[in-house]
This record gives sequence, C-alpha cells and structure tokens, in this order.
Amino acid sequence: MKRTIRKTMTHVSPLAVASVLACGLAAPAAANDTLVELAQDPANWVMTGRDYNAQNYSEMTEINKETVARLRPAWSFSTGVLHGHEGTPLVVGDKMFIHSPFPNTTFALDLNDPGTILWQNKPRQNPTARTVACCDVVNRGLAYWPGDDTRGPLVFRTQLDGHIVAMDADTGENIWIMENSDIKVGSTLTIAPYVIKDMVLVGSSGAELGVRGYVTAYDVKTGEQRWRAFATGPDEELKLASDFNEPNPHYGQFNLGLETWEGDAWKIGGGTNWGWYAYDPDEDLFYYGSGNPAPWNETMRPGDNKWTMAIWGREAETGEAKFAYQKTPHDEWDYAGVNVMMLSEQEDKDGQMRKLLTHPDRNGIVYTLDRTNGDLISADKMDDTVNWVKEVQLDTGLPVRDPEFGTRMDHKARDICPSAMGYHNQGHDSYDPERKLFMLGINHICMDWEPFMLPYRAGQFFVGATLDMYPGPKGDRQNGLGLGQIKAYNAITGEMAWEKMERFAVWGGTMSTAGGLTFYGTLDGYIKARDSDTGDLLWKHKLPSGVVGHPMTYQHDGRQYVAIYYGVGGWPGVGLVFDLNDPTAGLGSVGAFRRLKEFTQMGGGVMVFSLDGNSVHTDDVNIGEWIPGDDA
Amino acid sequence: MKLIAFGIAAAMSLAAPAFAYDGTNCRAPGNCWEPKPDYPERVEGSEYDPQHDPAELSKQGESLAAMDNRNAWRIWHAAQTGTFEYDVAKIPGYEEGATPPAQ
Repeated sequence: MKRTIRKTMTHVSPLAVASVLACGLAAPAAANDTLVELAQDPANWVMTGRDYNAQNYSEMTEINKETVARLRPAWSFSTGVLHGHEGTPLVVGDKMFIHSPFPNTTFALDLNDPGTILWQNKPRQNPTARTVACCDVVNRGLAYWPGDDTRGPLVFRTQLDGHIVAMDADTGENIWIMENSDIKVGSTLTIAPYVIKDMVLVGSSGAELGVRGYVTAYDVKTGEQRWRAFATGPDEELKLASDFNEPNPHYGQFNLGLETWEGDAWKIGGGTNWGWYAYDPDEDLFYYGSGNPAPWNETMRPGDNKWTMAIWGREAETGEAKFAYQKTPHDEWDYAGVNVMMLSEQEDKDGQMRKLLTHPDRNGIVYTLDRTNGDLISADKMDDTVNWVKEVQLDTGLPVRDPEFGTRMDHKARDICPSAMGYHNQGHDSYDPERKLFMLGINHICMDWEPFMLPYRAGQFFVGATLDMYPGPKGDRQNGLGLGQIKAYNAITGEMAWEKMERFAVWGGTMSTAGGLTFYGTLDGYIKARDSDTGDLLWKHKLPSGVVGHPMTYQHDGRQYVAIYYGVGGWPGVGLVFDLNDPTAGLGSVGAFRRLKEFTQMGGGVMVFSLDGNSVHTDDVNIGEWIPGDDA
Repeated sequence: MKLIAFGIAAAMSLAAPAFAYDGTNCRAPGNCWEPKPDYPERVEGSEYDPQHDPAELSKQGESLAAMDNRNAWRIWHAAQTGTFEYDVAKIPGYEEGATPPAQ
C-alpha cells in the first residue's frame, strides 16, 4: 500500500492530484462519485463512453472546425499484437491504459513521456480460448476504480478465457482474478468491465455456442460476487424486482423466461451481453442489452424467447430489473441486441423534459425509452431500407413483422435488411447535447439466410444457418462496396440532420466534441472528422490499419489530444484475419467484406493526434533521452 | 386488367395464410409468438425436434457452480492470509465442491 501511494504521487500530475483532492472533499467515500468527478475533468477519460451518460462527447474546443485541418500525429504506440483492436484507451491523470486483443495484455503509458511503458501485465491464457471465439479475439476495453481510504486505484480487465482481473493501477500487479466464464462450454469474455460504486460488472459472450447469458457484479476490492442475473429462465434467476415492468405491463412481466420457450431450450438460449453499459446514479439504474437467442435456427426454438434481445434497466445495488423491453421477439436474423446505450435529457414531443436512453439496435431500429420506467418514446428505422419490420407500434411496443422477410427451415430467405451484422453493431457512438444529435456509425448490409438442423454439444458451435451477405440497396452490390453510412439523428423528431455513405461499415463508433466535430475510424484505415452540423468531411488521416474501436480525447498539460486504436478485425475482418475465401465463411461476413484486403492489412496500436502534431517531445526534444547512469 | 388484378388478389389470398405470423396476435402480454403456417406449434415429436440431450443442457449450470465454488475458496484464502492465490490446489484445506470454512 505504501508503495502504491508513493507511485501515485510520483506519476500523477498536480492537476490530477488537485482534482482527486477536490472530489475527495466534495464526496469523501463513494467511489462512483469520484468517477463522476474525474470524468468532468477533460484531462481524463475514465470509462468506456467517457462518463456514465455514455455520450462519447467532449466539451473541449481547441480542436474545432477551423483548426481541425492542422491535426497531425503527435505520437503512437504498437501493442505488439495483431487482430481486431476494439474499444478505446483510458486516460487518468498522467497515465494512458491500453488494452489488446488476445492475449489481452494491458499497458500503462506515461503521458509525460509516452515512450515509457510504466507497466505491462501479460496473462497466460489457454490458447483453446481462441477456438470458441465467434468473431475474432477482440476485447472492448478496461475499467478504472479510483480507490478509497483503504485501497489504491484499480484497473479491471476481462480475458477471452473467461477471467476478470483486478490490477493495481500504479504497478500493474494482479490484486485478484476470478472465473466468470468457462471456455469448455463455449463461454468467453470480450466485453469491457464496468465500474459502478464499489462493484465491477462483467457481461458474457457465446450465444453462437448456445451459452445462456448472464451479467455479474463483483466487489472491486475482493472479487466477491455480489449478484448475478440471467437473460432467460426462472424469474429468480432473471432477478426481477417485485414491480418489474409495472409501468408497462404489456411488455410482459413474470414467468416469461420460461413460458416463451418450449421445454428446457432456455438453458442454451443465448441472451449474452457483450456490448456496453450506461448508468444513471440518481435512479441507481444501469442499462444494457441482452443478445440473440440460440441457435440461429428459429424453427428449433418456438416462442418469443424472452428475455433475449431486451433493453434492461437494473438496480445497480441489487441487480434487480425494474424494466425490460424486448425489441426483437423470437429473433430470426441474429439481431443481437447488445448495442450502445446513450443517455440524454431532452424534451419530448409534448414539451415534457424526460430522462432518456437512446439505443441503435442491430435490427435497424433506433429505440428511445424513458430511462426511469422503460416507456417507449420513439422507434425509428435508421435507414428506410429496413424490411423485416413494417413499423414498431409505440402503444403496444410490438414490431409488425413482414412475413416475407422472416426466416424458417426448408426455406432460403433473400434480400433481408439488415443482415445478421445489423445496420448497427458493436460501435460505441456519441451524442452531441448542444445539437441534440446522435452521431450513428451505421452498416449497410443485407443477406440471404437458410437455416439447418444441428445438435447441441457443450463447447461446440450452435449456429445452424448459412448466410450470404452483401451491400444494401444504396451500396454497390456488384463491386461489394458501399457497406456503411454515418448519420446525425434526432431522437425526438426522428429526423436525420445529415447522412453520408461510407465504403465499408462504420464499425467502431463515433466521438463528438463541442468544437463541432464528429470523429470516427473506418475499416479501410482512416480516422475522419466531419462537421457535426452538415456532415461535411473536414479532415482525415491514413492509419496503419483499419479501425474497429471508437476515438477518445483528453487534455494533457493544457493541450487537446485525440486518440484511436488501429488494427482491423472483429466480425468484418474475419475473412482477412483468418485468410478465408468461402463467402459464407465467418458466419457470412467473408463475402460481404471480400474487398477489405485491398485497402488494409492487420495491425495493432494507438495513434494520438494534436494540433500541428505538438507533443511533449516537440515541447522538449530531450524528454525520454537516455542519460548515462540513469536507470530509466 | 381486372383479370390480372383478380389473379394477383387470388394469389395473395392463397399465399397470405402461409405468411401469417406478424407478431401482433398475443396470447398474453409479452407472449406473441405464433407458428408459421405449416410449421408446428410444438417442435417436440415433429420433424424439427431438436432432441436435446439433458446431460448436455445441464453442463453450463454445473460449470458455473464449480467456478463460483473455486472463487469462494480464493476469496476465503485472501481474507485469511492477506495474499491472493488463484490456484485453488495451493490453498490449504481446499476440497473440490466443499464450502470454505466460516471466516
């Protein structure tokens, strides 16, 4: 402990120390309050989505529409690992925390001299874990707990092999390691952990191997399990509050985790959560989405298959669900409902101020709910080419399916939009509260789908469908290009302020700033900045490899930096990464992204930008130089 | 024209029952699934019976219970000694499946 404190003092800037002290005075004990305070300081980016609202929005204006043309690389860092680099680094005080795909090495860099790796923590994992990862060996990020009177700050990491690990933020030493998921039954971890109060939340992956989904809360200090809640099965295991869905009983309430399945099929029913979280401290509710039911073959699992594909509002303290809304009853397209949850406060159509949650789903609909009770406020198609559903009825909450674009045994369905990759996938998007616009990184991919029967064997893939995927109607189906879009969406009016086509799916998400800019990375290897008002392309830079993570920004010594991971991979990169050619391989993504290899190759690292490329090294070229006799 | 229109209408009315499940006919709140025309209400005993092996279906639950048990020993040991040990085989007194002694 003494050592921890000493290290903290030597490595954290006076600014960061001041802010920690300030929030220490404001809110002595509660760690979540400290995270809220830390997030308000533009020097930090303490969690996925930057703060509990998960808006990926920065108040900083140094980099703006006028200055963005001067944006240049300031420094970079290679992780030494290939494969998809999802998520974004965290910055707290003088440290940047970097994560990597399998084997999930964690690095801490010194922002006062980014050439110095303060510590690295490289776990030993059973390589078999790689064989049960459905969609590349990605990982979506780290979490940070700021510490309290008895324990210094911690960094949390999930591993593909199913472990959740707490590391000392100053030394990188393991504090505790717990088993959350068992690769022997096909259960892995790619989700970023998430800290609320003195708990760390861990999701789950493996619906393609029939894994029944669950979310677990652990004590940050000891690793002791506080609660665990499943997505299917009996109400006790779903952890429903006694007033669950009382404001919207038509969503369904009790016993549906069993009644909407035939027999014991819910035991291998999927519903894993590997996306993102958001949290409202005033309501003490956190929000996330459960994934697709298993298998993909819909004929093998009659019923609505609750509570897969649902938006959840759970009490952080107890884990109990206050509400859940199922977006895709009886999924037939693998529209895994795990996507980003962005919180905002806006006036609804009647002029009433509401606390909202906006969620661009795989199924092509952007849902906005009242986050205090689950009321459905809006449900708009993110592109008019969505065809599995005619509309979502706001009064019943039911999607009106178009039977022509459903899937079923002994039938090959064609031209379904979106495809299984969704019109939106794992990308963590942003919300600009000034403009009241959500900046959505969208996919434009449709598909043919034919299911087949298969047995369930624990540890083996349990998919049961053959897919062909290709560009949507607005893309170039002949040439396999035009697979993405980026749009600015107003959740109340349902209007798109602007929309632009992209060569490939905008997979990694977006970040917007008070400088009127929207940043995002592309699969063909660019970081781009668009005008948040018009969507005009103002700047771009060619990175070493394609991007599947979201940009972040922080201030260090008064200078604004923008950072982004490069390293193509994830589901769209499966063909390139594993050298596959059969268009139906990679769960159908190989065909859709057959042109990707003409634009990028694998990579892995962080690129950091600033105006004119200024950095600690341009400030003082001697920083980081070796001096004889110095041990650093 | 009329004939063609009639033909299309007739074709649609014939085809319509084969495409009936639109998700809006609910047997109870939150329970709106219907079998598609010509597909069974229950798959058990039908040509689409998945015939799941109960032993396979229980493996995930068993695995979670075993992991939770090992974790409980790790936490118990850390509380006892102040040091964390991941390898349960190195934890004195560890017995697979047994509950750790009271603190």
